[in-house]
Amino acid sequence: MSIREQLEEIKQNGLRELENFADAKELDNIRVRYLGKKGELTAILKQMGKLSAEERPVIGQIANEVRQTLEAAVQKSLETLKEKEMALRLAKETVDVTLPGESKPLGGLHPLSIVQNELIDIFQSMGFDIVDGPEVETDYYCFEALNVPKDHPARDMQDTFYLGDNLLLRTQTSAAQARVMEKRTPPIRIVCPGRVYRADEVDATHSPVFHQMEGLVVDKGITMCDLKGCLEQFAHEIYGPETKVRFRPSFFPFTEPSVEVDVSCSECGGKGCRICKGTGWIEILGAGMVHPNVLRGCGIDPDVYSGFAFGIGLDRLTTTRYKISDIRLLFENDQRFLDQFQGR
Amino acid sequence: MKVSLNWLKRYVDIDVAPEVLCDKMTMSGFEVEEMTDLSATMDNVVVGQVMKMEHHPDADKLWVCQIDVGGDEDIQIITGAQNVFEGALVPCALHDSHLPNGVHIKRGKLRGLPSNGMMCSGEELCLKEGDYPGAEVHGILILEGNWKPGTDMREVLGLNDVLIDFSILSNRPDCNSVIGIAREVAVVLGKEFHGPDVSYKTSGGDVHDYISIKVEDYDLCPRYVGRVVKNLRIGPSPEWMRECLRSAGVRSINNIVDITNFVMLETGQPMHAYDLRYVRGNQIIVRRAHENEPMKTLDDKEHILNPEMLVIADAESPSCLAGVMGSLHSEIEPDTTELLFETAKFRRDNIRRTARALGMRTESSARFEKGTDVMGCTYAMDRALQLINELDCGDIVDGVIDVHEQLPEQRVIHTTVQDILALLGVEVPTETVVSILNSLNLTCTLGEDGNSLSVTVPSYRDDVESRADLAEEVMRIYGYEHIVSTPIDGVIVRGRKLPERIAADTIKELLVGASMREITTYSFISSKACDQLGLAEDDSRRKVVSLLNPLGEEYAVMRTQLISSMATVLATNISRKNAAGRFFEVGKLFIPKSLPLTEQPEELPALSLGLYGEHESFFTLKGIIEMLFARCRMEVSYRRSAESYLHPGRQAEIVYNGERIGVLGEMHPLTAEKFGIEGRVYLAEIRLETLYTALEGQRTFYQPLPRHPASVRDLSMLADAGVAVADIEAAIRKGAGKVLESVKLFDVYQGPQVPEGKKSVSYSLTLRAPDRTLTVEECDKVMAKVLKALEEIGVSMRS
Repeated sequence: MSIREQLEEIKQNGLRELENFADAKELDNIRVRYLGKKGELTAILKQMGKLSAEERPVIGQIANEVRQTLEAAVQKSLETLKEKEMALRLAKETVDVTLPGESKPLGGLHPLSIVQNELIDIFQSMGFDIVDGPEVETDYYCFEALNVPKDHPARDMQDTFYLGDNLLLRTQTSAAQARVMEKRTPPIRIVCPGRVYRADEVDATHSPVFHQMEGLVVDKGITMCDLKGCLEQFAHEIYGPETKVRFRPSFFPFTEPSVEVDVSCSECGGKGCRICKGTGWIEILGAGMVHPNVLRGCGIDPDVYSGFAFGIGLDRLTTTRYKISDIRLLFENDQRFLDQFQGR
Repeated sequence: MKVSLNWLKRYVDIDVAPEVLCDKMTMSGFEVEEMTDLSATMDNVVVGQVMKMEHHPDADKLWVCQIDVGGDEDIQIITGAQNVFEGALVPCALHDSHLPNGVHIKRGKLRGLPSNGMMCSGEELCLKEGDYPGAEVHGILILEGNWKPGTDMREVLGLNDVLIDFSILSNRPDCNSVIGIAREVAVVLGKEFHGPDVSYKTSGGDVHDYISIKVEDYDLCPRYVGRVVKNLRIGPSPEWMRECLRSAGVRSINNIVDITNFVMLETGQPMHAYDLRYVRGNQIIVRRAHENEPMKTLDDKEHILNPEMLVIADAESPSCLAGVMGSLHSEIEPDTTELLFETAKFRRDNIRRTARALGMRTESSARFEKGTDVMGCTYAMDRALQLINELDCGDIVDGVIDVHEQLPEQRVIHTTVQDILALLGVEVPTETVVSILNSLNLTCTLGEDGNSLSVTVPSYRDDVESRADLAEEVMRIYGYEHIVSTPIDGVIVRGRKLPERIAADTIKELLVGASMREITTYSFISSKACDQLGLAEDDSRRKVVSLLNPLGEEYAVMRTQLISSMATVLATNISRKNAAGRFFEVGKLFIPKSLPLTEQPEELPALSLGLYGEHESFFTLKGIIEMLFARCRMEVSYRRSAESYLHPGRQAEIVYNGERIGVLGEMHPLTAEKFGIEGRVYLAEIRLETLYTALEGQRTFYQPLPRHPASVRDLSMLADAGVAVADIEAAIRKGAGKVLESVKLFDVYQGPQVPEGKKSVSYSLTLRAPDRTLTVEECDKVMAKVLKALEEIGVSMRS
């Protein structure tokens, strides 16, 4: 057989064997047998010396082509083999994706905190500072400074827990008003969220401990229209942009004029339903223009400055928001209750 | 305040539907709590005249009656009542009628004979003797007067009326009266208010011949007015007055007592009448009660008084508990011939305290508590005397005794229309401002400049003091719907949170991420909480602020620790079979600066953690706490502690900069028992001030990543079982020095292959220098030092 024929035979044999191998080891054996240092192709090439000078380049080229062909075939076989192995491994590793994940239970804030944080965000975005006040207050800040003199019937509206002669648990976050006004100079724009106390027996709608958020704005030229604008913005954030706000005359010793603020019932859109007792309106908070006596008592001249204040009951906002039927649930802290609250 | 629409119509022409009136009143500041149409309580009940009565052929006790009910033919009704007679006028419930007690009457048969309705008793019409004479008689109600058969019974009983219950704001005590409401109704409807006639004729004599009046305590009784009426002719009141009283739920007694009640309801000024026979010494003394002075009030109850209480006494003993209730002995009786009428002003907080102390709140005390008009005393008195004339039930003695100190002067407010409107932010025409104020009897004089305003305030509007009050008056009548929304003017500012709030939010966020649920509990706890936790007698947490008027022992003291609240929540959850729980609370501790309390206590922020469940342990709790301090970048250490309520072998205090800032551990089984907790629970309490400070001061600067490789060396050692790993770690750190990047415990083992009383502890040490690759020799040197340091604390290497 001529070298040319031998090369052709090596190529054909090699390609045939490469089409038919069992595993990676056999593939490697084939490669070594044909392309290795002691392989068949190398053996042939060693005979090149016997060839004539004319033949040598021609045969050399052929030999090279055979080598390249076989190398390419080996490479391809290697890839096929890898793919097969990968497919096999992946098939083996298949899991039941419907098995549960390894998770930890969700934690969460108390619903009162969720609502309070939401309100804080709203008012902060409207330029209100968020402040705090002491829960144990003096009679002065809780009543006197708020224009509630000792014999005033307004003190009938709230039965107060006393701790000492002039010390009590604040009955309203309004107690922080005077403290802020004494410390800051107008313009003042604050809300004070916090815990308040009244000597109410516990039932489905009363708790001796509850939460409020007081708002206070004092500046030159503040009017009731500003109060309405501010509360309307708040109501739109909380109850939706279609919500209407209405003022009804009311009385609080520390504001004059005083109003109850109603919003159109979000349940029925103001048509009247069970939630709003057929009126189309839901009372959400009390507000008013800061009483001149309160301003004066804090060293702010009521002829120069005016202001408004409002007080939001957070517990009621929370119970209505989540349709919680009994306020006691908020203070009982049953895990199954708490687990229900994730954001709005 | 429940007011009858018919009564209101005596003073103001109401020409709108009750619903419209209610709406207008609500929007002007008198919220309507309830509106009751009395006529809706019964229908198809008419006056019937018994024309003929026969015994039922089959029943001895039944009567077959033919009744004229105003129709063409008489109807037959069968009754078992024995008090009816031919000619009697009776209430007849016709076929398909409804009674106020909810019964629906239909025609039927009684013992075989048709009965086309029912004759009614007073009880069936829900009437009391005071509502209608004979109402409580056993049998059918026999009507008085000459009613035409067929007349609607609602007309007879005054039920063609609507009761409106107004909620009266506490600044408007003048509206705890029909007149007060009527004045407001007139304003919102734009009608005239017609007050009652208060003129009367006297019959000579001199009041001073009958009585002398002395006020000892002007402080508690700024004014006392007395008048005498003689030759009393006591009898029933006229129907119109009875109807008014009935609408207010007040029982009719007799004309004199009814006048006092009627005047109180009408004017808001309580009145009292004394039988002059029983005013001993012919003198009235308004004084404080003596210590332990006894008195029997006319509800037949015995009270023991004290000098905080005001009484109206005669020469010997109290005749009346001022403003609250009269005494039994001076009550008006059917044979009373001469009386003293009293209208007075009493200090409201004093009346409130007396009424509360004795547990007796009356229509009178309620009005005094809310505040009455000192100038209204004479008006009410005049009205009462006018009624004496009108009802012709006595002769008025000339002269009035009016005892008082300086009476207040009429208040005049000087302001401007502009200043009033400036608060409101709306344009209201000046003439509208003036006419609204005038309609409210806030008599205005507008200055020549068309702006300045002087407003004279009537005495019953003591609440109107300044331009702010006038602004409210204008606005509530003009209508709050005119207030438009405007954005607040001024510089745009950014709202800021206090750093403590931001820090608290950060902590809460981390804990929520650790699967924890936030809880909210009361700030006051049981006075026994410290005992329950077994705190030592001298433990500072026993210095608690107590409530003077707690709702009960359970809520008696302000908490000085959050543990007992948390334990209660854990107990609740465990008892409800909730399998596991992770809870936290951020709350305030109330730490008194001194006791008894003389100033505000410190309110210190604290955090409590509570866990239970199959997968929880001391170390899951500690893991959360470690995360917390890692977040705060605080290096804390843990050392054994001795809290009474924690497991003595499983508790630690958390130390930061040498100070204890918290404690964690498993609850002591005995304490758990006291809280009703079954199984193991884990608790921690941490004071938050230092955490807040750490978080507030937190600033992050990037540290370059290491450029040279690290060497990792593992160490396995044998230590006495009692040695704390914290000590081993400290020794490693000391020995390794600066090149120690980190040290990590990866195994602690006790058991086979480890000698008795020893434990095997394995650490992985990472060594690295910032500026070069450490050589093997350098690392060996470091490790040698580590081994030496460990040997010093008795720890040897495992071979």
